[in-house]
Amino acid sequence: MSIKVEIFSSPNCSACGQASKTLEKLANEIGDDKIQWRKADVIEEIDLAVSLGILSTPSIVIDNVLVFSGLPSIKTLREELLYRLDKKEA
Amino acid sequence: MYKIGEITKKTGMSADTLRYYEKYGLLIDISRNSSGIRLYTDKDISKLKFIKRAQRMNFSLEEIKNLLSMRENPQHAKNSVRQLTADKLKNIEEQLTDLSTLQNELKLLLNLCRGSEDGCPIIEDIDSDT
Repeated sequence: MSIKVEIFSSPNCSACGQASKTLEKLANEIGDDKIQWRKADVIEEIDLAVSLGILSTPSIVIDNVLVFSGLPSIKTLREELLYRLDKKEA
Repeated sequence: MYKIGEITKKTGMSADTLRYYEKYGLLIDISRNSSGIRLYTDKDISKLKFIKRAQRMNFSLEEIKNLLSMRENPQHAKNSVRQLTADKLKNIEEQLTDLSTLQNELKLLLNLCRGSEDGCPIIEDIDSDT
């Protein structure tokens, strides 16, 4: 069982690189088989971004639901990912 | 009660337009004083505001006339008028969805602009206007 995580970023977004690094670290920690993640360019995928309700970058979408607008702390993001994995496995 | 000049100020509609709406049957039973001068009520102003909104949505005068009859007496509206009202409601809901999507897209673009170190032509244009 895995969850799909998407980070929507944009050029000149200072926190976007950090968001990707944080997620990459957590995916390694929790397991790449459990966290399927990708980085999406908000301008390249603007229709999808708007349909998800994204209004700023970075935004983190989990299983097609906008969960974070802005960069959460690594602790908050870890807890959210584990919670959603648990929910899916239950 | 208001004279036509007051109504033109309140609604932004011309006196000719108001007279035409009366002739067309959009405004009915407009009373007159002893000198024959038209006198409008608050209810007429409400109708005129409705007409203005409906025109902004590109409804025809005939459609507006039917919608006004529904507005006057919804319980006894003809089936065709009920159907027209339902169709127009659907049309408005679709436009609202489109507008909401456009609104969010523009908000996103402006937010992205704000994060840009290279400046943003949209924001600069707004700033130069103020």
